[in-house]
Amino acid sequence: MASKRIQKELQDLQRDPPTSCSAGPAGDDLFHWQATIMGPGDSPYSGGVFFVMIHFPPDYPFKPPKVQFQTKVYHPNVNSQGSICLDILKEQWSPALTISKVLLSICSLLTDPNPDDPLVPEIAHIYKTDRQRYEETAREWTRKYAMG
Amino acid sequence: MESDYDYDYEYDDDAFPESDEDMASGDDYEFDAHAEVQTAAKRAPYIIYDEAELRERQQKAVDDVAGVLSVDKGDVVRVLREYKWDASRLQEEWFTDTDAVRDKAGLMDRTQPASSSGKDQCKICFDDYNVKEMRSAACNHRFCRACWKGYIGAKVAEGPAVLGLRCPLPNCRAAVPQSIITEVASDTDLKKYSSFALRSFVEDNRQLTWCPSPGCENAVEVKADVGGEPMDVACKCGAAFCFQCTEEAHRPVDCATVHRWILKNSAESENLNWILAHTKQCPKCKRPIEKNQGCMHMTCSQCRFEFCWLCQGSWAEHGERTGGFYNCNRYEVGKKKGDYDEESLKREQAKNALERYMHYYQRWAENDRARLSALDAMNTMIEKRLEEISEMTATPTSQLKFLSDAWAQVVDCRRILKWTYAYGYYRFAESAQAQTSAHSSTAADALRQQQEFFEFNQGQAEYFLEKLHGMAEKQVGSFLDGGEPVEGWAKFRENLIGLTDVTRVHFHKLVSELERGLDTILDVYDNSAGQEHGDVQGPSAPQPAAAKKKAPRPSKKPRGAGSSQVASSKGPSQDELETVAGIWQCAHCTLANTLSRADCSACGNARGSRP
Repeated sequence: MASKRIQKELQDLQRDPPTSCSAGPAGDDLFHWQATIMGPGDSPYSGGVFFVMIHFPPDYPFKPPKVQFQTKVYHPNVNSQGSICLDILKEQWSPALTISKVLLSICSLLTDPNPDDPLVPEIAHIYKTDRQRYEETAREWTRKYAMG
Repeated sequence: MESDYDYDYEYDDDAFPESDEDMASGDDYEFDAHAEVQTAAKRAPYIIYDEAELRERQQKAVDDVAGVLSVDKGDVVRVLREYKWDASRLQEEWFTDTDAVRDKAGLMDRTQPASSSGKDQCKICFDDYNVKEMRSAACNHRFCRACWKGYIGAKVAEGPAVLGLRCPLPNCRAAVPQSIITEVASDTDLKKYSSFALRSFVEDNRQLTWCPSPGCENAVEVKADVGGEPMDVACKCGAAFCFQCTEEAHRPVDCATVHRWILKNSAESENLNWILAHTKQCPKCKRPIEKNQGCMHMTCSQCRFEFCWLCQGSWAEHGERTGGFYNCNRYEVGKKKGDYDEESLKREQAKNALERYMHYYQRWAENDRARLSALDAMNTMIEKRLEEISEMTATPTSQLKFLSDAWAQVVDCRRILKWTYAYGYYRFAESAQAQTSAHSSTAADALRQQQEFFEFNQGQAEYFLEKLHGMAEKQVGSFLDGGEPVEGWAKFRENLIGLTDVTRVHFHKLVSELERGLDTILDVYDNSAGQEHGDVQGPSAPQPAAAKKKAPRPSKKPRGAGSSQVASSKGPSQDELETVAGIWQCAHCTLANTLSRADCSACGNARGSRP
């Protein structure tokens, strides 16, 4: 069931790739993917290319995939390990969701952080109190880690 | 709320003739070990269900509501669960705003009839299927059966939240109907689901609880709101527990006291108290040191620092000048100046507190052990020795019920007695403090008086219990091994029955007195002081005599408050206590007799006569 569904998702992605992201198996293992997300234009991440690692559990799609940034990101909901705090990757997961939808959700999380449910409280605090400083740091990190 | 109970009553009584009245009366059980709660349990009605009965009970609860709301039974289960099985609150809100209730539970009307032809894509595996082979909730989001099965399996694995299962589509709130679950789920998942459903019925429902005994799967339903009061119930498995807190049955002590006591017994805090009471820290390395013997010259085993136990100063500063090896003038002088007072007072207090706790704990634990051994002895007697006794005494086993009655009474009373020690520990904590600080006030006096009264009653109860326990244990044995002639059996039987009765009455009074509160009891005495001694009025209306009547009996008191204390203070006299306790004690053979008897049922001596 899991591999068939992953296969289908892969075909879908190849046939109709979403704008601003791409995804596919990292090697021979169908359950281990690598994806890229282009930093959204209206965000301080603009111009960066962010690598994301995806692991499918054996009971996918009934259990959510594990998704992690490999590129360092300065963001209230992404920690230094690259873990992402996103409800649809946890309790709000639905088997009717797909990797393409998950990647789109991450894109919109980059544009609109959720500082009220932060993974890194310090960044959330700066985001809330000193937006300019947050954007500068995020831009700097993007330049430093997500370009070239 | 009340109306809810009404229909429950009707149903329960009709469906299960074995109601609590039968259970608790103790008259029609035969030699079973399941009668542990006799003295304590006769308060609020309750019913014990085994698993099958519980399912019936749940079905009945659903049927009743389905009838009133006229909706599908599957839907009723959903809303009832949403409302924690509180049918009256559900009905109230349902008839106020049906849509809101339905929305809360995820119930919706099928907007269009499910078409039965054509193909559709399953939104999970993205394969196309004939619509006929697919299933959907009222929202018409169709999924194939394999995906439903996987979805349900994953949710069952996550726990009881599966009972509120919604359509798999993100943000769709439609409740998944029971029919889909029954149709597609695997056998193991279905079993788990149904056990979650039953658990929810018991665990969400304020009127039901599981029997806490390991391995027992019975549930108990109380038929009235017990309002936070402790309530002892006896399960068919033999366990006696409190409905409120599911700890072991503990009337007359309240749940909070029991909780504190249990916590205290397991807490490290008592060890700390011991350390505080018996050790001092090395002045240099701060490790605690226990001094169990020897002179005041201490050498820390850890850091080798030498110091004086009394003043905790360096030993180098000590010598002839300071009083030598066995004394320390520095300490004495410092004590006079008040330098050491606070510290030693604290140490003294900790020691007292610890000893006080040990006193109560030992008695609590001792009675618990006695209860368990009595339970054991009762079962052994019933299972193994009954035939033997029946043969020896030439009586049918059915007439030996008085033996198991006596044992059951012992077990029951041991439990009550045990908890009165937890009660005493907390109830009179202030009085213990007042004694150490030597302050005296009217409030402290009143408390001390209450404590005397309580301890006297507790002592009396314990006394009769010891007697009953001994009689059941030893005398039966000596009949069996020929130490006592069989001719005495009839007499023994009569005595044991009498003593069982007396003990029961006495403990019943102890329980109800403590539940009424000691303040009111002493008020009764205060108000009626000086009145003439009336006839016995029954348990709830003690009519004590004037305090001067008779000198206290010289016989030994079981424990606690001495008789002189009781008589010299404003406390009740022997006569009063006999009236309250509902018994008089024979001065010749010490047997407790009911007040209706003018002579002792054991030795025949008249009441009031002295050896």
